[in-house]
Amino acid sequence: MTIDVNPAKMRRAYVTQVSRRYGMIALVSGLLALSFFLDVATGPGKYELSIVFDVLTDPMSHGVRLKVIVWDYRLPVAITAALVGALLAVAGAQMQTILNNPLAEPFTLGVSAAASFGASLAIVLGVSVIPAVGPLLVTMNAFVFALFTCGFILLATRLKGVGSETMILFGIAIFFTFSALLALMQYMASEDQIARIVFWMMGSLSRASWEKITLGALLLAIAIPFSLLRTWPMTALRMGEATAESMGVDVGRLRVEMLICISLLAATAVSFVGTVGFVGLVGPHIARMLVGEDQRFFVPLSALVGALVLSLTSLISKSITPGIIYPIGIITSLIGVPVFISIILSTRKERLS
Amino acid sequence: MTLSIANLKAGYGKTEVLHDVSVPDIKGGAFVGLIGPNASGKSTLFKTLAGLVTPTAGSITIGGDDVTLLRRKDRAIRVAYMPQAYGCNALLSVFESVLLALKQTTGWRVEAENLDRVSDTLSALGLSHLADRGIADLSGGQAQMVAVAQTIVRAPEVILLDEPTSALDLHHQLSILTSIRNEMDCKKPVVMAALHDLNLAAKFCDRLVLLCEGTILADGPPQHILALPEIGWTYRVETDLEQTRRGVFYVDARLTG
Ligand SMILES: Nc1ncnc2c1ncn2[C@@H]1O[C@H](COP(=O)(O)OP(=O)(O)OP(=O)(O)O)[C@@H](O)[C@H]1O
Ligand SMILES: [Mg+2]
Repeated sequence: MTIDVNPAKMRRAYVTQVSRRYGMIALVSGLLALSFFLDVATGPGKYELSIVFDVLTDPMSHGVRLKVIVWDYRLPVAITAALVGALLAVAGAQMQTILNNPLAEPFTLGVSAAASFGASLAIVLGVSVIPAVGPLLVTMNAFVFALFTCGFILLATRLKGVGSETMILFGIAIFFTFSALLALMQYMASEDQIARIVFWMMGSLSRASWEKITLGALLLAIAIPFSLLRTWPMTALRMGEATAESMGVDVGRLRVEMLICISLLAATAVSFVGTVGFVGLVGPHIARMLVGEDQRFFVPLSALVGALVLSLTSLISKSITPGIIYPIGIITSLIGVPVFISIILSTRKERLS
Repeated sequence: MTLSIANLKAGYGKTEVLHDVSVPDIKGGAFVGLIGPNASGKSTLFKTLAGLVTPTAGSITIGGDDVTLLRRKDRAIRVAYMPQAYGCNALLSVFESVLLALKQTTGWRVEAENLDRVSDTLSALGLSHLADRGIADLSGGQAQMVAVAQTIVRAPEVILLDEPTSALDLHHQLSILTSIRNEMDCKKPVVMAALHDLNLAAKFCDRLVLLCEGTILADGPPQHILALPEIGWTYRVETDLEQTRRGVFYVDARLTG
């Protein structure tokens, strides 16, 4: 026999659950702040945490030298790490929802590879797909290729019989195609150009700048409200396309709008730091385990976890060998692949049962 | 408030599935059973009413308003549709999944009255014990009842249920349909349900519409419709309409030949 729960109790349970989720968001924000601070405090020169904190609150408190180190070198890197992590994780979370595939993210779907190829095209041949962009040539090329790939993915999902796993195979096909083209570019490149391409392929925070940060923050400031406005339809989409449509969601339009938003985020993120794989997978995966898939909590928490992951990665990249900064793309892949495999295994189990 | 369907033609691409379907004058508070064999066009009719399939001809009016002219969202406020296929792998609780159905047609913020509405609906359908369960781990019948809850929580003028009882055991078939009837008592929506179980249809419906190959063959009170010879030949069975000692009608069917 089933025991009825009275409506008031049911409502209270939900309200408690919601406050727990806010708590989760606060907790991850706190961890992010901590990791961010440690990231700023870590580097070739060793300074007391309290000194770094002083310089952060009052730039000139310990002289020009420390101001330059903290504000001109470390802070842009630390902010870029958090920002790009958030951009990639939001892009991944949204892709997973609109494609109904927990493995979708800019890297696994080949968007990063396409952006890398676009960038290399600009680096090696100076070829621009959009005329007269000047200094933004590399970024614009990366962006256009990422957008093009997202468009292709959107078309592919419309084809009949393209299931969840087929999408990932499409991603692998895109990845291989652009990797081959990228190899061709490297073959044709000069030594200096190869170095710049390698920057793309391994992911690096070393070219962080305040201009890029402003642009990325602006984008995130647009993308977050844009997605928050669509949280209820996006959550409905998790119930399946037919159900969402029956609830009055214009699924086709929602997909296109979100994919444009995602392309923007993904393309911007990769154009800042190059290829950084799996952050778009790990961020949403952890967020989903913590708060479920109500997009009102899932999207912001994905952003925070993504930011935390990349911030920690930045910290790790400086801490393994003192004096050497390892490319972050290598570290995120090493963290991300086990998560990727565990998601594959858990979705398999679901399908079998 | 009255739902009227007149001379409706609809289909997929070039194939027309519904040929000139008319169901006039469905009064608010009426429970209409849509019956007919597999592939007769029941789901297609519902999808057309809900706006998921665009009709090529004919009209659908609710209280005199042509709903085909409404924007998708405005239409969803007036017409709620439970599709035949449901179930998913989302990490959402039953409570959340019913809440999200309600939030498609109400504002962004979750108000206290929204939570009341969700918990009342779950209680009314006898699903309160499932509220915090994950929807991905429900049994087939439980998932179907949650899909019903997602539809009626919105309190629309027209409720379309595509086979709401096909996965339910005897107790739940009766309890769900009874709860739906109770819900109808206050708000007086039109409820249309596609049903394969003619005995359930006889028991709960005020009016039956028999659909066969995209045309309406009969439309009227259950005991009249179920006694028609058309029932036998559309379903390709031999039937007799019997009555129990309690006065309940039931269809006795066997294979022809
Ligand atoms: N998406 C679709 N595209 C093309 N044809 C379709 C589609 N859906 C249904 N049909 C066709 O339309 C006809 C009517 O199907 P419909 O689903 O409306 O039948 P139904 O009466 O609901 O059947 P059932 O009792 O099996 O649910 C069938 O011949 C079916 O093959
Ligand atoms: Mg059907």
